Amino acid sequence: MPKTPIEVSHGCARNNGEPYVPQVCRVIDIQEQTHDVKSFRLQTLDGKRPFACEPGQLGMFSDPPYGECMFAVAGVGEDYCEFIVKNVGFTTNHLHELSVGDEVGLRGPYGNWFPYESAKGRDMLFIGGGIGMPPVRAFLRHCLAHREDYGRIDFVYSASTYDDLVCKDDLFNVWPNEPDTHVHVSVYHAKEGDGWDGAVSYTAPYLEQVFAEEGLSTENACAVLCGGPSLFRTCRESLLKLGFAPEDIVTTLEARMKCGVGKCGRCNVGGVFICLEGPVFTEAELARMPRD
Amino acid sequence: MADVQDIIRERAAALLSSGEVSAVIGWGVGRFDDVRFPLVVKRAEDAGKLVFDASCVQMTAKRLLEHTGDGKVALVARGCESRAVNRFIADHQLTRDQVYVIGVPCPGMVDPATGETLKRCAECQVRNPVVHDELVGDPVPEPKPYRFAEVDRVEAMSREERRAFFDEMYGKCIRCYACRNACPCCTCRECFVEQDKVGWQGKAFNVNEARYYGMIRAFHTGDRCIECGECERACPMGLPLMVIMHQQVRDIDKLFGPYEGGGLTDSGPDPLRTYKTDDIEEFM
Amino acid sequence: MLLKKAKAGALLDAIAAKERLFVPADDRGTSRFVAYGAGVEPRFDLLNTKLPPKDLLFPATETLYRWSRDGADLAIDSAFAETDPFTVFGLRPCDMASVDRLDAVFLTKGYVDEFYQAKREAATFVAATCAHPGRACFCDSIAASPHEAPTADVLLEDAGEEWVVTPQTEKGASAVEAWKPYLEEGDAEPIKAACDLKVDMAAVPEKLKGMFDDPIWSDIGDQCLTCGTCTFVCPTCYCFNIDQDVREDEGKRFRCWDSCMFTDYTAMAGGHNPRASKESRVRQRFMHKLTYFNDRYDMNLCVGCGRCMRDCPAAVDISLIIDRIAASEPAQEKEAMAHA
Repeated sequence: MPKTPIEVSHGCARNNGEPYVPQVCRVIDIQEQTHDVKSFRLQTLDGKRPFACEPGQLGMFSDPPYGECMFAVAGVGEDYCEFIVKNVGFTTNHLHELSVGDEVGLRGPYGNWFPYESAKGRDMLFIGGGIGMPPVRAFLRHCLAHREDYGRIDFVYSASTYDDLVCKDDLFNVWPNEPDTHVHVSVYHAKEGDGWDGAVSYTAPYLEQVFAEEGLSTENACAVLCGGPSLFRTCRESLLKLGFAPEDIVTTLEARMKCGVGKCGRCNVGGVFICLEGPVFTEAELARMPRD
Repeated sequence: MADVQDIIRERAAALLSSGEVSAVIGWGVGRFDDVRFPLVVKRAEDAGKLVFDASCVQMTAKRLLEHTGDGKVALVARGCESRAVNRFIADHQLTRDQVYVIGVPCPGMVDPATGETLKRCAECQVRNPVVHDELVGDPVPEPKPYRFAEVDRVEAMSREERRAFFDEMYGKCIRCYACRNACPCCTCRECFVEQDKVGWQGKAFNVNEARYYGMIRAFHTGDRCIECGECERACPMGLPLMVIMHQQVRDIDKLFGPYEGGGLTDSGPDPLRTYKTDDIEEFM
Repeated sequence: MLLKKAKAGALLDAIAAKERLFVPADDRGTSRFVAYGAGVEPRFDLLNTKLPPKDLLFPATETLYRWSRDGADLAIDSAFAETDPFTVFGLRPCDMASVDRLDAVFLTKGYVDEFYQAKREAATFVAATCAHPGRACFCDSIAASPHEAPTADVLLEDAGEEWVVTPQTEKGASAVEAWKPYLEEGDAEPIKAACDLKVDMAAVPEKLKGMFDDPIWSDIGDQCLTCGTCTFVCPTCYCFNIDQDVREDEGKRFRCWDSCMFTDYTAMAGGHNPRASKESRVRQRFMHKLTYFNDRYDMNLCVGCGRCMRDCPAAVDISLIIDRIAASEPAQEKEAMAHA
């Protein structure tokens, strides 16, 4: 059966007012996901969702006076936008010190989004690692909200240790209970008594193992990949080895971003700006871009 | 200087063919006859691209730091470059055995814009290389001209005049950091300007931020400055950067002297960071 | 219509009486576009100003918004303000062409930068042709021409003792209406100069795509200091940073010029820096200038003004780099740019 080619739109985000000036939002919920990862739900001061956005899009979170950071929107609700933030540097350190009720700035949405339209009818193979969860989560939730539009869904997710698994509730309680949705989790390192009795493996070999054991096929599948540099490199090779065409592998890139609207030059790679034409690209498109 | 140029080319070719060095740093000719640029020659057959004449305005030594991983590197060194070599050794950026110094006594360069002696050469105290593995050409006289005339002029200014002088100077600064990148003392892997998390240096372009940057850099380099004047030469806006550096050298001489600038030997001492029990200050 | 150069002062006074006027002039030992007023000597004889006029549309530092905190509460106010009309008198065709590039960046591709737009719409550009291009000028083989500036509101064609004045846009036409008392009837033969230096850009953007791993970048890296001189004197460089000024519980966020040449330009939280090496930054600069920009906006980003060539402390010469790229052998079909 011929499948529609995966088509990622680029440069689709549009002006919705002043692109550089944030709106003030209130933190309405904070969840501790791991020892250094927290999720934040933000709402406007009059109780509304800050903006509507597509899965894969980004938002610039600002915490004056500490700075601004660009994050993938991890989820949207009726009246909130959700971000999952790892504490890695100066600004994220301060974001982690926020309390419910604190006011922060938010601007967006920026960037392009996952090709959820052209991926309809496909089996979805999501692969994520560590803090690569947020964008994948956004797309996965979209697929679950439109369940009949997609085939079988698999999510291969790993993190360094059990503690480092982000969104444990989704991983173990919510998603496995969705129709034809299979979650496969591994950790890189396990210890006695850490609460984990599942697979212990790096992502790429685990991905190949799951693929074989579950009898998955690339026939009508779309792979969605998000993780750090080494996970990306190894899993990309595995996917190609398993027979995925580069046009059927979708990923989202990361870069230092400042303006978010494709003007300041910082995230420029080749002829594209990751914040505007990206962050979502297919592997086929990436192969045509320069290395840095 | 034509003979010197020929000898430099021969020596460069020989050092490269024998494998004794992996590169020779000197000058090449740009598009226009009077333009020279720092050239790193890596193959013996390219030695003919090296030139040495009165248009070689750049002080090239800093490029040593990027090539020492490849083995020994040769440097065509006048007085200024040779002091830079000592600077690098004293700052633990290089060891002596990593560089082969082709010493060249220097009569001074000519500013292509004016046709006159380049300002830093007109102030130069050390024309003959202070360190070398070989010497090409005969030593030249070192008249040691008085280099503090502008320092005297600024020191004689009233507070208002001095304020106006520095406001004009730093008001022009475009924070390109050419001075820092050209300076042989500036070898920090992470410059204070780049320490964003700490936030020493603001990013806005205004006279206050520029003055802050300029003054801090002057003090960071102050007691190590080799007075090569490359900062001032590199500055696209013509800031009189050497007035502060010469002043520091003279002040250090007065307070901690005798002191004639850095890089004259490869072992310091750098007066502001060397403590002796007979220091004039009782408490650091 | 003609404007006698010797009588330009009276016209400038008249323009300046109604709105801000910027002219090329000496400034503390260098030159830039300066607000015309008492004591300002316009230097229309200067080949070009040391600093380009881009700061009139895209200031080196510009506040975006102000914020203040009161406990958990946060207030944010945009710093956007409309700009009063102003005239830029005497910019060269290369600099006028640079405005076209900045327009493409700030006004297109989904987002309109309103800070830039406000200034752009307020500006009247009066371009003056070049009778004697300099040795480092190569505008007419890359982006412009010494004797025309099609996107300027008013064109002043140098004819020796006078300029031939031609309005080229509606805004220009209404400007010139007001100049009538200072202009003379008559004709003069504009000097149609050409640049001595020529480059061959035809194949360069395409060839560069196969040159990601070419030794040229290492060679330039040997020479270059990776300071920001070229990017700041360049009329078309537009990279900016966004940073802040904080005073206790209030502050402002501003944007300011930045440079892809700086080491920390791509440094990320967590320590990763994709362009840590000098070579990679040098490559990015010339790739962006000579091919990536073409991919996005279909025009050459370099306008051939020669400023970087004149001011680079290490004498890096973009025209020689273009020559070298133009002369390079086309790469075979290889994944030179394969994502690592």
